[in-house]
Amino acid sequence: MRRLASHLHQMKTTIRQIGLILFVSGFLAVLANTVHPRKIPWVQDWSHQVESRAKDLRIRVVPFSGAKKLHADEEALFVDARSETDYTAGHIPDAVSLPFEALDEHFEQIMEWTDSDQELVVYCSNRECDDALLLSAELKSMGVSNLTLFIDGFDSWKTFGEAVE
Amino acid sequence: MTRDRKIYRLIYWIASVVLAAVLLSGFHKLLYPSDFAVSVYRFHLLPGFLVNPAAIYLPWLEAVCAVCLLFIPRFRPAALWIVLVLLVLFTAAIGISLIRGTAFGCGCFGRAADEDPLSWINIIRNAGLIALAVFALVARKKI
Repeated sequence: MRRLASHLHQMKTTIRQIGLILFVSGFLAVLANTVHPRKIPWVQDWSHQVESRAKDLRIRVVPFSGAKKLHADEEALFVDARSETDYTAGHIPDAVSLPFEALDEHFEQIMEWTDSDQELVVYCSNRECDDALLLSAELKSMGVSNLTLFIDGFDSWKTFGEAVE
Repeated sequence: MTRDRKIYRLIYWIASVVLAAVLLSGFHKLLYPSDFAVSVYRFHLLPGFLVNPAAIYLPWLEAVCAVCLLFIPRFRPAALWIVLVLLVLFTAAIGISLIRGTAFGCGCFGRAADEDPLSWINIIRNAGLIALAVFALVARKKI
């Protein structure tokens, strides 16, 4: 009986301490996010994020590491959704240029991809641009099914020292 | 003190220190909350309005637990229970992401975009940490 009482007492103490840790952490978190030089809003609308929109459109998304692997496998075709000027200035090796606004000019090429089920990895500059997402959505609606969006884009490719053409 | 109790005490202490070190190795989450918020968001498990509060709160909870594990022996069991629950939740989140086919880095110990994507190795590592927390709690009872 005495042992049970001691166990119960210990359990109560632990639960009280858990509550205290949770509370102190909350206090510190609020305090830190008030004075933090890189503080973030308490509530943020994530629905406009490119990733979120891609998820809604059921388009597969990969980060830099995933794109690097796909490029090394040499099976997927990389599609550069940036402007022709940006593409000329530098792009991922073997990538083809397909700016969103020039979609009509590449109709035949797209139909070829659709027929051959070619895997496409579409990218633009970084996580903020939506050219690659818009292009992916359009390609998907045209029947391209094997589609991946490289979310970190060309900026990360360059930053991490991958080869550029 | 008997030999067994000494061994249990040693297990309790080593497990606590290892878990604290693992928690502290995620300190970048305190420095760069927006990066961690992206990681939390990428799991697509929380409603949007909870992503930032979780990204702000969790790193502090981990830090406070690490401090308790290292420097406040009286609070060590409570911290161990919290760490255990956190590890189970994180492991479940990783497992769900893997089943869904999400290939992002977990943002657990680094903020680099070239971080390796989640894999079953993350699950195995977390299972090891869960076992360590359980060992520590069992050892605590035997001391």
